[in-house]
Amino acid sequence: MSRYFREWSVAGALGVLLIVLAIFAPAFFQAQPLLSLAAAEAPTLVIACGMALVIICREIDISVGSQFSVCGVCAGLLAAHHAPTAVALAAAIGTGACLGAINGALVAGLRLPSIVVTLATMMTWREGLNWWRQGEFVYLPEHLQWFGLSQSAGQWTLIAAAGLLLVALALALRHLTAGRFLYAVGTDMEAARLAGVSPQRVKFTTFVTMGALTGLAAMMNVVQSPQVDPKSGTGLELKTIAAVVVGGVSISGGRGSLWGAFVGLLLLACISPALTHLHIEAYWEKAIQGAIILLAVVADGVRTRRKKS
Amino acid sequence: MKRILPLFLLAGLVLAGCSKSAETSGGGSAKKLTIALLPKSKGNAYFVSVRDGAQRAAQDLGVDLIFDGPTDTDPAKQNELVDNWTTLGVDVIAAACENKEGISTALRNAQSKGIKVITYDADAQTDARTFFVNQATPDGIGHALMDEAARLCAKSGQYAIITSTLTAANQNEWKKYIAERAADYPDMKLVAVRPCDDQKDKAQSEATALLSTYPDLKLIMAICSPGVPGAAEAVKQAGKAGKVKVMGLGLPNENKLYVHNGVTDSIILWNTEDLGYLTVQAAVALAKGTLKPGDTTFTAGKLGTFEIKGDNILLGKPFIFNKGNIDQFNF
Repeated sequence: MSRYFREWSVAGALGVLLIVLAIFAPAFFQAQPLLSLAAAEAPTLVIACGMALVIICREIDISVGSQFSVCGVCAGLLAAHHAPTAVALAAAIGTGACLGAINGALVAGLRLPSIVVTLATMMTWREGLNWWRQGEFVYLPEHLQWFGLSQSAGQWTLIAAAGLLLVALALALRHLTAGRFLYAVGTDMEAARLAGVSPQRVKFTTFVTMGALTGLAAMMNVVQSPQVDPKSGTGLELKTIAAVVVGGVSISGGRGSLWGAFVGLLLLACISPALTHLHIEAYWEKAIQGAIILLAVVADGVRTRRKKS
Repeated sequence: MKRILPLFLLAGLVLAGCSKSAETSGGGSAKKLTIALLPKSKGNAYFVSVRDGAQRAAQDLGVDLIFDGPTDTDPAKQNELVDNWTTLGVDVIAAACENKEGISTALRNAQSKGIKVITYDADAQTDARTFFVNQATPDGIGHALMDEAARLCAKSGQYAIITSTLTAANQNEWKKYIAERAADYPDMKLVAVRPCDDQKDKAQSEATALLSTYPDLKLIMAICSPGVPGAAEAVKQAGKAGKVKVMGLGLPNENKLYVHNGVTDSIILWNTEDLGYLTVQAAVALAKGTLKPGDTTFTAGKLGTFEIKGDNILLGKPFIFNKGNIDQFNF
């Protein structure tokens, strides 16, 4: 219990929110809107998982929003030129992995701080995309939406894919050596190095994984509508970092779990529709999200101080 | 001053004619006016459509039209083009300005060389041009949106608005005029205003929440362009196409699919070809002296008469794109 204290307290907060909704706005619990919400957030979950990995190894990637847009547009353009869905998917993941490798090479290879590197790549990819596409939508062929399945089948497929990925990554993080390496590098790089782990290699791999996951997420988003908005993904970095931090992954690395990132994202994703249902003005949305993040960071600060004293 | 002005205009014309004939020595079309039309970005479908209208006006009036601009939205490249045209000695420059302050210096310089300057789509500083061809006034847009919404709902029912952000100045201006007009429709009830951060996907989530919160909702009005297809996709996914109307301010291409599917009813914007046509008509009239500061109306060939408010030539009522006409536009 104490080990997963944070995860449980966030889940508790989510429970309270859902109870409030059940009492005051039972219309929130309708199958179709919830399914649409879950499917729309499935790509975000995939990125949040990647973000948790990056933050656990004490780095950060704020370029994911731009990577997401680039991957989505590339996959969309391929599909629009009659490439099979599998090819578009592979291209999205490949593009993401390449963009991630650039971040990884700069961070791990040149030992540059990841916040600066990914800030630079965030702006570069975003502006590059603006210059290339002029903000124009990519129009997709009809068979691409929901992979040609029915709407609900497509939505369930996406949700199941994100769920399976979450379980697989969470298990890998706990039980595989590679997962332990990540925590080791995040906790104490020098100790990890002495123990025979190559921190730079771990970091590079993590950034490539982050990129590949972002590409996958972009494709999961592309198949949900008949056109790709090149601006989609803007602000995704903040959303996922917030989810991860709220879920108890320590921003100073080495601590946290993917379950935490999952409940953190669930809580944050429910707030916006919840406010609409509770007839609360949209002005409060960002303020409430900010307050939750602040609370999480303060809780972390108190915890570390207690440990030290 | 007013009396001297035609003289100036005449002098300008003569000078322009001289420099022109000096350059195109041997060319028979020395008296043909040259209008340089500067878009924000020349590959952009919106400006391509403006160009089509401009070309028609140039044909009607028998003038030469130069259409050139940055390949991307690049204010420095715009300045460079204006400087080139100033050296070249075109008769009129008509500019859609990316950077108001930046380009104004270049435009003033052009004016000092006797070149007439007007702006369209996005204005420069007022002393850097004679007229601004204003494609849409906030009250025109706001009123048109509300009128169309009321028409689609038969003047009664709940509606919700999706904006880009709650603090965006243009959005709030439009909202103000929507509210002003809404007073004429007492049975129309605004239930919520939600921001979509100028993203289609966010607009879709917001619209999904709106649809489940307000089961009696009759219409969603999106007043930022990504909001319209986003709201339409939400309505489609909720299986409420036709029951909940979708309309708003947007671009024809982004909405064609939903308009043809019967999800989206109307898209409101201005007619971009008319904007190009009117701009060139005004440019030519200004060079010929038939359009002068102080005029209150302007007749632009077959498009008819337009109102001039101060130094703004108003394109007038916004244009409504629907199933019947949307395929004629490609931007």
